[in-house]
Amino acid sequence: MKKLVLSLSALLLAGSALAADPVFPKGPSNKITLEVWSWVPGLDKTVTAFEKAYPNIKIKILNLGGGPATYTKLQTAIKAGAGAPDVAQVEYGFLPAFADTGGLADLSKYGANDYKKYFVPWTWGQVSPDGKAVYAIPQDTGPFAMVYRDDLLKKYSIAAPKTWADYAKAAATVKAKSNGAVKFGNFYATFAPWFMALAWADGGQFFKRDGDGWVQTLNNPAAKKSLNYWNTMIKKGEVGTLAGFSADYWNAAGAGKLATNMEAAWGPGGYAGSLGTKSAGMWRVAPLPQWTAGGTIKSGNWGGSSNVVTTQSKNPQAATLFALWLNLSTTAITADWNNGGLFPASDAGLSLPALAVTSKNPSKFFGGQNISAVYAQASRGVNVNFEWAPWFPFVNDNYTKQIDRMLKGQLTPDQALDAWQAESLAYAKQNGFTVK
Amino acid sequence: MRYRTTPWFFLTPFLLAFTAFFIAPVGYAIYLSLFIKKRVGFGPAQNVFGGLENYVRAFQDTAFLQSLGNILLFLAIQVPLMILVATAMALILDSVKKGFAQKFFRTAFYLPYTVPGVIAGLLWGYLYSKNLSPLNQITGLNTDFLSSSILLFSIGNIVTWTWTGYNMITLYAALQNIPGDIYEAARIDGASNWNVTRYVKLPLLRPALTLTGIFSVIGTMQIFSEPFVLRPLGYVPDNITPNTYLYLAVARDGNFGYGAALAIIMAVLTLILSSFFLRNVRGETA
Repeated sequence: MKKLVLSLSALLLAGSALAADPVFPKGPSNKITLEVWSWVPGLDKTVTAFEKAYPNIKIKILNLGGGPATYTKLQTAIKAGAGAPDVAQVEYGFLPAFADTGGLADLSKYGANDYKKYFVPWTWGQVSPDGKAVYAIPQDTGPFAMVYRDDLLKKYSIAAPKTWADYAKAAATVKAKSNGAVKFGNFYATFAPWFMALAWADGGQFFKRDGDGWVQTLNNPAAKKSLNYWNTMIKKGEVGTLAGFSADYWNAAGAGKLATNMEAAWGPGGYAGSLGTKSAGMWRVAPLPQWTAGGTIKSGNWGGSSNVVTTQSKNPQAATLFALWLNLSTTAITADWNNGGLFPASDAGLSLPALAVTSKNPSKFFGGQNISAVYAQASRGVNVNFEWAPWFPFVNDNYTKQIDRMLKGQLTPDQALDAWQAESLAYAKQNGFTVK
Repeated sequence: MRYRTTPWFFLTPFLLAFTAFFIAPVGYAIYLSLFIKKRVGFGPAQNVFGGLENYVRAFQDTAFLQSLGNILLFLAIQVPLMILVATAMALILDSVKKGFAQKFFRTAFYLPYTVPGVIAGLLWGYLYSKNLSPLNQITGLNTDFLSSSILLFSIGNIVTWTWTGYNMITLYAALQNIPGDIYEAARIDGASNWNVTRYVKLPLLRPALTLTGIFSVIGTMQIFSEPFVLRPLGYVPDNITPNTYLYLAVARDGNFGYGAALAIIMAVLTLILSSFFLRNVRGETA
């Protein structure tokens, strides 16, 4: 009997260890401090659990206020050769640009590849494009789905569109029935990664490593198909072009002047936070519309971040440990979801009970729908082989320029994408990249 | 011998600070500007000595040349307009009776200057947003102030709003310094209000006008925060001003050498423009 109890409890222990966290590497034997640059809300509270588990490590969090501010400072610190943190948050698209500075530690040296199996497969492709060197540990992700106003769709007697053809039909209906007062969708004209995620879902590939160089195809067929599709609806006045996160946008979304939009998994948190009580409970989430009906849901990814370790870190082994803990431990994933709506890159994290709680935001704001289930499905449908290039920061800004010309009617969608391709290619070549 | 070393002794604190915070950074920028990025395969870029290559590139870079064109256009329209308005406001404040109203308007005109440039940008960003702008709601129009075709003028408006009051205070202070007996003499000679303004106040204001002009030229060449704050609200060209362009070369593209070269070119251009301005204004008085 005693034996049975013992083995049972051993089984239970083993079982809970499996269901919860992977076994992390050991901490250092001497006292150290790690500096972390991150804009994740509430991270200072999250890391107290880490400090408790690893009493020799003290974490110093520095929130520089978002991506652009962090990148500028990181870029300068890497160039200066001093002043960089041990760990920093970097979005996937900007990762190759930082790897290119030579300032990021290759985490495969610290056993990072042993943890590959714990992450959603496509996220590992983002941090380790060649499958050997690992430049970061995936943190959160932004798989794409559609948010929509349930009340408005009911008012115009439309079902949530499952295909892009349905979506276009619904857009025309809403314009006609509302006399143009309600836009069915919104095209974020200044967010290249938003548009790229749409093409990504359709198998679009913008950058690829090829031999000793790169192939850039910003004007790929999926991109052309998608941009032509949206431009047609914009020209008809069925879809708006409000700038994302602007006062204008939130006003339209809260006032019922906008029926749907494509948003990443971290988006709903922003809706709940920015809209507050306005239109609360009226929103729902549905899978991203597809080009062909039936079949598995294919999606792209917009945003999401990773945690890099810099070559300036004096404790890269401990820094790697921290990055792994932050993105694989149940404690951290739960806290990040509750504090900032961060959607985990950890595969086990996708089915964490905390994500399915519908009585709290963001699910509460979305009428108590279990929205993380929709996004988890989307995350598993993201193309694994999507790559970014080191000159993406330029490509990102140049997109805005070409789309501005397209919206003014100076370029057709095809011409805009061709110009985007040509100008970015010229830039990459001028900066010494081998690219065609 | 003692007489020769003493001044140097007193100058040391200044010279040290001047060298550390002025000469050294400028020297380092010149040094950086001589390096270009080279790379092979996927490895990180190497900085190799490129001589004047960055400078040659700058003068062939149409985007950079366009940014210079933008700022010259800005200089030609915004600066005269702002100084004209500032002068008019200073003259009005100077000629009305001193009292509560005069004090109130003096403060009110100056107030925008106390708002930091970034905050002013955010504030105007809201006033400029197409569907919420009170300007559009009052006029009933649907102007997109942030459209890239009129953005330069929208930025000019922010700059004018911020700096007119500052220039006005400088000019007003100069007017206050004009001795009363000059006005008295003019009145005795039968000068009208207009003649006092035209032949007494304005000529005596010339040094102050030169000063505000110079500061405005230099300030215009440095415009950065306003366009930068407006970037998230719509399409703001990378090269709307030379400073945003060179900032992006460094902070976004990591090309420190090219950014440094652009900064040196801008410094030299500012020097040329301000001395050109100074010479022309002085030339008239001589």
